[in-house]
Amino acid sequence: MLTIALAKGRTTDGVWPLLLAAGLPLPTDLDETRALVFDVAADAATFQVHRMRYLLAKPADVPTYVQYGVADLGIVGKDILMEEPRDVSELVDLECACCRLCVAGRPEDELRPPRRVATKYPRLTDQYFRSQGTAVEIVPLSGSIELAAVIGLTDRIFDLVQTGATLRANGLKVFDTVSDVSARLIANRSSYHLQREAIRQVAEALAAAVARRKTG
Amino acid sequence: MCVALDAMRWAERPQGMRDLFPSQARMRRNLEDWLIRFFEDRGFSLVSSGAFEYADTLQRGRGPTASEQWVQVFDRSGRPMALRPDMTPSVARMAAPLVAAGQLPIRWCYAERVYHRSDAPATLSWMSGRAAESTQVGVECIGESGVAADSQLLSLCLDALAGLRRAGVRMVISHALFVPALLELLGVPADDLEPLLALLTAGDYVAFRAESRRFVGEVDVMELLSTLNPFQPDTLPGTLVRPESAASQRLQAAWRALCQLADAIRASDHASAMVFDLSLHRDPSYYTGMVFEVFAPGAGAPIAQGGRYDHLLREFGAPAPAIGFTFEVERLMTLFADEELVMQRGVVSC
Repeated sequence: MLTIALAKGRTTDGVWPLLLAAGLPLPTDLDETRALVFDVAADAATFQVHRMRYLLAKPADVPTYVQYGVADLGIVGKDILMEEPRDVSELVDLECACCRLCVAGRPEDELRPPRRVATKYPRLTDQYFRSQGTAVEIVPLSGSIELAAVIGLTDRIFDLVQTGATLRANGLKVFDTVSDVSARLIANRSSYHLQREAIRQVAEALAAAVARRKTG
Repeated sequence: MCVALDAMRWAERPQGMRDLFPSQARMRRNLEDWLIRFFEDRGFSLVSSGAFEYADTLQRGRGPTASEQWVQVFDRSGRPMALRPDMTPSVARMAAPLVAAGQLPIRWCYAERVYHRSDAPATLSWMSGRAAESTQVGVECIGESGVAADSQLLSLCLDALAGLRRAGVRMVISHALFVPALLELLGVPADDLEPLLALLTAGDYVAFRAESRRFVGEVDVMELLSTLNPFQPDTLPGTLVRPESAASQRLQAAWRALCQLADAIRASDHASAMVFDLSLHRDPSYYTGMVFEVFAPGAGAPIAQGGRYDHLLREFGAPAPAIGFTFEVERLMTLFADEELVMQRGVVSC
């Protein structure tokens, strides 16, 4: 059996069409239940295993499940891997669920030097502002980062932006795009060798689907 | 408030350190004892050294960034020292005068705690990553070179795991000089080699593919590496064999060594547990030949690792070929159920 941890929410929504295109056996009732573990039968001739198990985890926890080895593979945004480097292998850039790590704020703050920044990514935020030669106070928050700028707790936010709709709805503006991020297929280091053939099949099917999407 | 959660009342445990209560502590000690007895029965002598080494001792044969991983302090005269990150430098320091006096071969084993800087919680890092403090039981063989010594050491490692009755283990073997020679042969400039190899060591194959493509154009290095199998010597593409190129000669030397090792392995009891994967690249930088890692179902990270380091003893003033490996004891512990006991006579269930 091969166990794959998926990042709940945006990332899974974004990669689902790719998983389908790659021909992976997928659960059909993902949206309908509150279950967190899904077992499906796999074609052993193609994938070398009889079953695949999917885990639905909070995005930031996907690398943890993979590093412990309870999940052999994981699909998670590069932003998570950049913020907290983990001892996992990064196999394929899935080139979907794409987002940008951005610095944003209220338009009237754009020309003022940054002083306080709210973020879910304290490490990356610190790196970014130090590379700009500015010292800022970082306010770590765990969600709805926009709120901090809207109510004036901070004059900047450092966050993931997909369409920019949330920013616009809250009267915020992107000041700078720091990095493009996409979903990645990661593997536990031990599974990578112990389940080599099965993992290779999944990685190749996904890489081929990524390539087809680009040319098609 | 619940008394157990009253932080003011109980003394704190330092970050990264971990306590073992009776049954776990007993299991770790039994495992250490079993492995040491196993190595002693096969002609290795137990050595021990202090937990601190001077930083310049640890630095010998290693890359400039190695010290980032160490827990460093200063001695009373201001000289930097560090808690040993592994036992190999201490063994090399102790062995060098004996090597110089011609007392070869040296076959030593050890069971010691080693230390790394780590921000991760101890429980996570023990299982999978790098713990602040962990236990290594290993062997070092100094003064023996050649494929026979290599394959004997690999067998010793798998014999020990068979003795502990751990099933499903897989030993992944590579060669420290193969990928560097291959990248150079494919046109990667010398300055860009280190960062590329670091990506491979970290397992960031996405970045490795992207970065290597900048230099090698149409060749997918990962794909090429996955097709190479020293059990079948003709899997090395003829295009990589160029007599006029120094890099190609180094590549072929590494390949020949691997093919010889494959031949020796084929005859061993453990052949089915051994695979080659030339994309395996290991830190530290002092490896000069065969390198390997051992994986087991249930442990998220290698339970044993090692390789050949023929130039390290020269850094300590007495050149000699050397090879060694170590077990990661806390990771080995995760392979045992609570009711299993490692006794001197073997593994028993109670």
